Parts: sequence; C-alpha cells; structure tokens
Amino acid sequence: MLSDSEVAELLSFLTPATRPDVKGQATGYFLGLSGNRDGCHFLRSKPDLLAALFALTSDPSIAVAKDCYHILINLSADETLHQVLVADVNVLPVLFKNLVDPEYQLSDQICTILSNLSRHQKTCKTVFKVLQEELGVAQLVEIFCTEGYNKMAKLHYLGPLLSNLTQLPEARSRMMDKDRCVLQRLLAFTQYQTSAVRRGGVIGTLHNCCFDHVHHEWLLSDAVDILPFLLLPLAGPEELTEEENDGLPVDLQYLPEDKKREDDPDIRKMLLETLLLLTATKTGRQTLKDKNVYPIMREFHNWEKDIHVRAACEKLVQVLIGDEPEQGMENLMEVEIPEDMEKKLTEADVREEQELEREEEQMREEEENKKNGDQACVGVSAHGAVE
Amino acid sequence: MASSEAQYESDDGMDAFMDKFKTQRYKNAFSENNWEEEFDKIPMFMKTAPEEIDPKTHPELACIQAIIHDEDRPPEEQAKSLKDEGNAFFKEKDYQKAILCYTAGLKKNCRDQEINTVLLTNRAAAHFHLGNMRSALNDAAAARKIKPDHLKAVIRGAQCFIELRTFAEAIQWCDEALKAHPTDKKLLELRAAADKHKRAAERDARKAKAKERKVHSEKEALLAAIKDRGVKLLESVKPRQQGSDSEEEDEDSSAAISQLSLDGISSKEVTGAQVFLDEQGSLHWPVLFLYPEHQQSDFISAFCENTCFIDHLAVMFGEVAPWDTDRKYHPQNLLLYFEDEQMETLYQINSDASLLKVLQHKRFFVKAGSPSFIILVKGSPFCTQFLIGKKIHGL
Repeated sequence: MLSDSEVAELLSFLTPATRPDVKGQATGYFLGLSGNRDGCHFLRSKPDLLAALFALTSDPSIAVAKDCYHILINLSADETLHQVLVADVNVLPVLFKNLVDPEYQLSDQICTILSNLSRHQKTCKTVFKVLQEELGVAQLVEIFCTEGYNKMAKLHYLGPLLSNLTQLPEARSRMMDKDRCVLQRLLAFTQYQTSAVRRGGVIGTLHNCCFDHVHHEWLLSDAVDILPFLLLPLAGPEELTEEENDGLPVDLQYLPEDKKREDDPDIRKMLLETLLLLTATKTGRQTLKDKNVYPIMREFHNWEKDIHVRAACEKLVQVLIGDEPEQGMENLMEVEIPEDMEKKLTEADVREEQELEREEEQMREEEENKKNGDQACVGVSAHGAVE
Repeated sequence: MASSEAQYESDDGMDAFMDKFKTQRYKNAFSENNWEEEFDKIPMFMKTAPEEIDPKTHPELACIQAIIHDEDRPPEEQAKSLKDEGNAFFKEKDYQKAILCYTAGLKKNCRDQEINTVLLTNRAAAHFHLGNMRSALNDAAAARKIKPDHLKAVIRGAQCFIELRTFAEAIQWCDEALKAHPTDKKLLELRAAADKHKRAAERDARKAKAKERKVHSEKEALLAAIKDRGVKLLESVKPRQQGSDSEEEDEDSSAAISQLSLDGISSKEVTGAQVFLDEQGSLHWPVLFLYPEHQQSDFISAFCENTCFIDHLAVMFGEVAPWDTDRKYHPQNLLLYFEDEQMETLYQINSDASLLKVLQHKRFFVKAGSPSFIILVKGSPFCTQFLIGKKIHGL
C-alpha cells in the first residue's frame, strides 16, 4: 500500500486546480484501488483522501467526476466504510441535493450509492434522517415516478433505495401516509417491463410495507387497492371461465392471450410472500378469498417451474383454501408461539429447505441428462463493484 | 368644500320640500290601487329583474346598469362587476346568462390575471353544469395555463376529463396539482376515482376483445365444419362463374365460405336463426320448406343435419295445416325437390335422407345461409303443371 508521503502527494493532486490529465491519473488510480477489498480498507483510514475525492464529484471534468462517483459506489458496497462516508465525509446532503436537480448528469450513480448505503439498518437510519431533512420520502417517490424527471438518468436504483428505506418503521409510516398519495404512485411499477431493478425495488417496498398488519385493511381498501398490482405480474394468458373472471379485481379480468408473467423468479417469490403477509389478518384473508385469488394461483402453480417459488405459492394456497384459525389466533402475526414449538418449526423450515434443494438438484440432473452434453452457459451478474 | 356645501344645499331643499306637506297633500304618492305594481318597478323592491332592461320602462334599472358597466371605469373594475353579475346568475342556476357575463368580463382583457383566472374557472363551471364538457375543459385549461396550481381549475378540468372518459389525463392533472397541494382531499378523491374508472375501462376493452376473439374462433370452427363436410355456400352478391368444373367449384365455395358472415347475418336479420355447431359437433341449419301451390312456407329454425326430412314432415303434417283446405298434404305423399338455380334444374330428394346427405349433393348450394326445399303433393294437378317444362333430376 501507499506510504503516508505518497498519500500526501496524491492528495495534493486531488484539487480542482490541478491539471485535468494529472487529476484524471490520480482519480483513475484510486478507482483501481477501490475495486478490491484491501484497497477499500486502506481508504477507510484516510477520511481526508475520501473527502477530497468526494469534493471532486463536482469537478468540471465529467470524466473525473464520474471516476469519483464510481469510487464511491465501490466503497459504499462495503459495509465497513458506511460510517466513514456518512459521518466523516458527510456525503448524504450533497448527494440528495444533486439528486433533486433534474439537470444533474450523474444521478444514476447517486442512486446506486444511496441504495448501497441504505442496505444495512444502521446507516439506513442516517440516510432516512438526511432524506427527511432534504426532501422527504414523498418527494423522493414523486421523482422516482415522474417519467423523464432527469433526461440524463433513469433513476431505476431509487427502487432498491425505497425498498431499503422501508426496512425502517418510520420510513414505512411516511410511505403509507393516508393523507397523501405516496405508496399508490408506486403500484403501477409492479408491471414496469423496462427495468427489473425498478420493478424489484418497488415490489420490495410493497413487501416491506405489508409487514405492518395494522395497515392491511387500508392497503386492501379502494384507497390503495394493492391486491391487483401484486397479482397481475403472477397472472398469465390462460383463459378463465366467465364466472372466475367476473370475481377477480378488474385489472385481472379478461387478460389478453399474450399476457406474460414476471420473468424474475426472485421477484415472483417476493410477490407471493407479500400476498402471504396480507393473509395474516382475518380481513386480509377474506379479501383475498373474495377477490378470487385462488384461480390465479392455480394457473400460476401449473406454470411455475422454480421449486422455491412453487413452494411459496403452495403456502399461499394452503391459507386460501384452509380453514380459518380458531378464535384468538386470527391475527397470524400476533399469535404467540411457544418456545419448543418455535424450535420445531424452525427445524421443519430447515428440513423443507433441504428437501427443496435436493429436489432442485434432481431436476437439474434431469435437465443435464436431457441436454445430453449440450454446453451450458451460466451467466453471473454482480451488482455494486465497478472498475 | 364644494361637494359638502352642495349636500347642505340639497338637504335644505329637502327640508323645504318636506315642510310643504305640513300644509298640502303629496300628489305623486302611490295610489291604493296600484302600489304593488309601482313598488315592483323600483329596483330595490323588485321581486324579479326584467329579462331585458328597457330605459323607457325601467329608467332606474338602466341607470344602475350604466353605472355598473360604465365604459369609463378601468377594465379591471368592469371585469370584476361582470364576474359578480355572472356569479349572481350562476347562483340562480342560469348558467347561459352567467356564461355571457363571464365572457363579457374576459373580453375586457384586464391585466389582473387573478380576475381572468376566476372568470375562466367560473365559466368552466357554468359550462360543466350545462354538460358542455369540451368548453368547460378549454376554460379550465386556459385558467391552469395562467396559474398552474389553481386548485379549482385543476379540479374542474379533472372532472371534465373523467366525464370525457380520458382518465389518464385526469390522473396527470391531479398528480401535477398534488405537488403543490399534496393533501388536498378533493384532488386525492378525484385521482382515485379517475384511476378506478381508467382500470374499469381497460377491463371493458379487454373483455370486448376477448369476446370478439371468441366469436371469431367460433365462426372459424363453424366455417371449418361446413367446409369439412363439403357443403357449398352460394354467394348471394357475387354472380357465379359459368361452366364450373370441380376445381373451380372448390374455389367458389371457399370464397363463399368467407362470405358466410354476410349471408349468415342477413339470414339472422330476417328469421332470427343462423347455422350453428352444437357441442356434439353437429350442424343445425335454418331450413325453409316452400309450398308453391298455396304460396305458403314453413321455417325450421334449427334442423339438425343428422335428422331426416321425413321426421320433420311427420311432425308438420301430423295435423292438417290450416291452409291445406283439400287435406292433401300427408307426410307420405309429398315430393321434395331442391333447385339448382344455375343449371335451372330441380333435384328430387328422398324424404328418408338426412339433411347432411342432401347438403353434400354435388349440385346443392346453400343460399343466403339457409337451405330451402320445394314440397309438392304427389300426383296433384298443380304438381304436374309445376314440373312441366322444368329440367327434373329424379331419384
């Protein structure tokens, strides 16, 4: 690693007044450094260096500014740097200010940094605090939902940011402000075909919001009407009977022959888990039964190949077709589970998971055999680290 | 001051005037007979204002009007008076007159955009109540252009969009205005209503499409069933080509099949029946029996292709038909023919034959979606006469 004198020398290059090519060399070097774990850890102990790099995000040279943002993206992917970035360098206020600017060219980079920084609860709290001071959840949603807000940025990564923020109860209560139209504006994006990141972020947000069972009745009421937006990505082109159609929420009725289901199995699973959360209360269960969710799940189950997603679907169907729990246990989120029972349930969960893994393994083998030596191409996608 | 002096003077004059009545009677007083009418002429006591203000009959009203609409006053004041007048009409639900006032107010082109916005928004409201959604929307849009977050204009505009069933625009207007008024109840309500309508309209469109698809596929199945059986349809519109060999016939029938919709519908309009495919895959045809001797006919709305002619005849002539005065028509003594119009030939049919078998005859063409048959009484004088000079193809 660099010696202190070398750091000091490099630091002297990281000022706006430095010649652009020299500055570019310096930021390029740090970008390389931030690409690996050790480099990140080294930079963690150099707050003044980080502050200088952060200051250069407003450099007139877009290339330099971009380098600096990418360094921040890499650094923010490592949780151990969050405190330094948020407390010592105080990146948040400036990031939010730039984000609000519809002309700002590097807003997508900001979105990624914010989404990284909000991943873990501790820093997430700080992100939320500064967000409230700067613009507030409602305006953030507004920016996210305004098509073409920023001509130079897509802002898809605001989705994961919202999803991360709603791990906090205080962010959820802002999101579910009954006097405003906030959460409602996100709903249409469960069908947003252009970006799985945006879609996943929105569905993650809805998933988080459904943890608050006190809001279930409101979420399912006409004021929000969340149900069709969770079901639509799971519904396919299969023709249902007229009777089944007429019992469904209007958005689900008479879907066209070319209706496609959500591509991403993780998102499908999250949708099913969100629906399952909504069955925690008696009114929730009743609504899902009344709105004819069952035929949608029946067709979905026939179609679904991924065994983990199928298992999630089966759990939901169990609740939909099962008997109502006895009195006093109607709210499944409030039922107290005795310790020994909980242990058994956890063990059962582990067993189930193992069984699914085995099944999956088996299926994979069968697939392999079917392919008969066809070359398999496996794509790996990683978020975060950029070099 | 001159003016206050003049007032004193006139007060003095008034005193003198009043003093006169201590000695003499006031002559211009209302008489007991017409005081009510007279009172109605005084603006202050009028129960209703006259439709048109004529300076001769209502000089006081004309004066007041002149004061209100004094052309010398600044346009802002004039516009404001017109706005107030319009509002008065509006309150009485006389929206036409209100619109005239607001329009006159706008024509003053006053510089106070606040007044213009109100005039536009109010005129939008009047148009809305008259059901002129387009005009209402134009005014609301113009008001919104002057003042983008003018709540009343946005709400009125959104209502118009909903009435005009352009729900996406209604939502967009609400969203725009919610930026400035994020907790406005009316805006939130309208947005929710527009959203609900929009989704219902989308469902209706999908449903109509699904229905269309179903009708289409049913028709396809029907046409395929007809074609599979080798039953030929005759186009009623297009004249058939002369001298058809078997290949040409095939082409003709496929052309005719595509034409079935027209024929089918036309037959439906006249008789209310159309050929259909049942769940067992049998065709049922609307069939016409013609009795030229009596100029009578029978219509069987659904003749299953697998049943025989005799089955229907047995039912129809099991009892004497009301027009069969000579009681000649018995199921067993009837001759059945179909006509090949192109070749001008009558083909006799065995009454034990099924409908399908007859329809598959190489010279049978279904005309206007409904097969028809000529029925004569065997050995009757009419029958002999009818068949004279015709080309007959016997059994």
